[in-house]
Amino acid sequence: MKELLKELCLIDGISGDEGAVRDYIISRVKDYCQYSVDDLGNLICFRKGRKSPKKKLMICAHMDEVGFMVTYIRSDGTLRFDCVGGIDPSVIIGRRVRVGKDRISGVIGSTAVHNLSREQREKAPSVDSLYIDIGAASKEEAEKHVFLGDCVYYDSEFTDLGEHCVKSKAIDDRAGCAIMIKLMQEKPDYDTYFVFNVQEEIGLRGSAVSSFSVAPDFAIVLEATTAADIDGVKGEKRVCELGRGPVVSFMDRRTIYDKELYRLAFDLATCQTKTMIAGGNDAGAIHISGKGVRTISVSVPCRYLHSPSSVIDMSDLISSFKLVKNLSKRIPLL
Amino acid sequence: MDLKNTIIRLAEAAGASGSEDDAAELALIMLREYCPDAAVSGGNVIGSFGAHREGRPKLVLDAHIDQVGFAVTAITDEGFIKVGNIGGLDRRLLPAQPVVIHGKNDIKGVICSVPPHLTSGSAPVPEISDIAIDTGMSKNELEQTVSLGDSITFDAACRDLLGSRITGGALDDRCGVACLLYTLELLKGQETAYNVTVIFSVQEEVGERGAKTGAFTIDPDIALAVDVSFAYAVGEDESKCGYLGGGPMIGVSPSLSREISDSLMAAAEAADIPYQTEVMCGLTSTNADRYAVSRGGAKACTVSIPLRNMHTPVEVIDLTDVELTAKLLAEFIKEG
Repeated sequence: MKELLKELCLIDGISGDEGAVRDYIISRVKDYCQYSVDDLGNLICFRKGRKSPKKKLMICAHMDEVGFMVTYIRSDGTLRFDCVGGIDPSVIIGRRVRVGKDRISGVIGSTAVHNLSREQREKAPSVDSLYIDIGAASKEEAEKHVFLGDCVYYDSEFTDLGEHCVKSKAIDDRAGCAIMIKLMQEKPDYDTYFVFNVQEEIGLRGSAVSSFSVAPDFAIVLEATTAADIDGVKGEKRVCELGRGPVVSFMDRRTIYDKELYRLAFDLATCQTKTMIAGGNDAGAIHISGKGVRTISVSVPCRYLHSPSSVIDMSDLISSFKLVKNLSKRIPLL
Repeated sequence: MDLKNTIIRLAEAAGASGSEDDAAELALIMLREYCPDAAVSGGNVIGSFGAHREGRPKLVLDAHIDQVGFAVTAITDEGFIKVGNIGGLDRRLLPAQPVVIHGKNDIKGVICSVPPHLTSGSAPVPEISDIAIDTGMSKNELEQTVSLGDSITFDAACRDLLGSRITGGALDDRCGVACLLYTLELLKGQETAYNVTVIFSVQEEVGERGAKTGAFTIDPDIALAVDVSFAYAVGEDESKCGYLGGGPMIGVSPSLSREISDSLMAAAEAADIPYQTEVMCGLTSTNADRYAVSRGGAKACTVSIPLRNMHTPVEVIDLTDVELTAKLLAEFIKEG
């Protein structure tokens, strides 16, 4: 599972640019399913099970990760950019990035700390004031290598942290993709649609379309969600914690989840719920798709979400996989 | 010698102030090729170049071997590492930054970042006392390897940028160290006007402490501190910066020897080496400040390599500047 997650995380694919992730997933699942790619780029796979239930189950995750796009090349050869997805400037200054099809290296620099006023030192800069330095000495030099609209990716290694944690970019939501690939490799009890969505990070766009096409009765949305179990954060503010199993929410900013499915998850496994109502994911688009879809989300708790150094505990990924497998045996009978 | 490879090897070695061993050992091995007597003395790596002859002035070439970082101050019950800073750090870029803890073995970690839902809008810049490092390990596991006082550095690999520019952590001042090695390479087999001693000094980032003892030990007549200085970039004050690719920045300051500043400029002009003048109106915050007032005093000057994003994991230099700086130093030192 770790190897699979690593391979998935190291592929670059910001929103609208999921092709490489999709190609990789197709290479891993094509022998197990019938699949199609829709106009937005969603990968919709039908996995035949031992039985064909009356009700249709869809399991989904999103392929895209957060990143940036080049919006302007300045006369000094540096690049202006904008964020694709929600990114806090404090996790991108002082980082390496890779730009465009050739993945040329760049850095997001900032004024040397020596030259900042007391006031400036205490305030994170806005994205508008940041730039990417690719080493170009002029606009002309930059233009030989970079085009407006080029995608920009985090340059971050996948590394083990301690015995059971890993650190990487794009864990949100390649963790969900990894669970689905593993599930598809085993013959399920029931026919299941496995959908790999595009454009979650810019507003749940892909899932709005794919859930219309599949028109499921039930959906299990696989995600990575913010865990704030870090030093200095106490009690409910932690939201959820690493190593305590899959996160099943009753409500977030986009969805109030199906209560029966929520309870079923806790009957089947040791889960945790989110202790703050925060965040949102593809469930927001899916549960109100068509005549409505009974939806549950199962998330892997993840520290430093949307940063180049997201951290999860592999045991949570494994236990989430097991929970989803068990849910898929029970939900079609409801 | 392969200058770029030398810079990268040095920049990727660890050596926060006071814990310079890894970087210093590497620099020592590299220096021995030119200075067979090179050895560690009071932490500093010191070697004499060529035959030292009676009657010639003593010249020190200095570059500091340390870098900014953190020290482990506590391990919490939950296994987070609390830290103090070593040298000046930009706290704005610390959240979610990857680091390496140099315990009995190196351990990878990530600086904790408070997620946006807890900060309602833009996250406040953390105080150093708020910083904690996540290693994925428990207190018990950590205590097998990590002790209080162990050093921590950014986990920053070097990368090529376009043209002759590169990025990495600790280019401040490992590119200066590499520059001095390259200077010696250029001077190999040539007569010099001085008895040259090279000092790769420790603890510059916490107040030029290695240079103080190094200066006392060698007692030079002339000292050149080869460090980095600010290269112009978006957000910087252009009037206070040099330019990447513009060549060595020769210091001019009341605390420096104007005679040496002028001679350096004359040497650059004679050899057609582009240079930039860096005016500082008092102390220079480099090791030159120490050499100038050690024992009975020395004629000190700074020769700086322009660098962007100082003290971050993504410092940027232009290799051309390192090369030109070495050429200038060699021109200045060789028998006229």
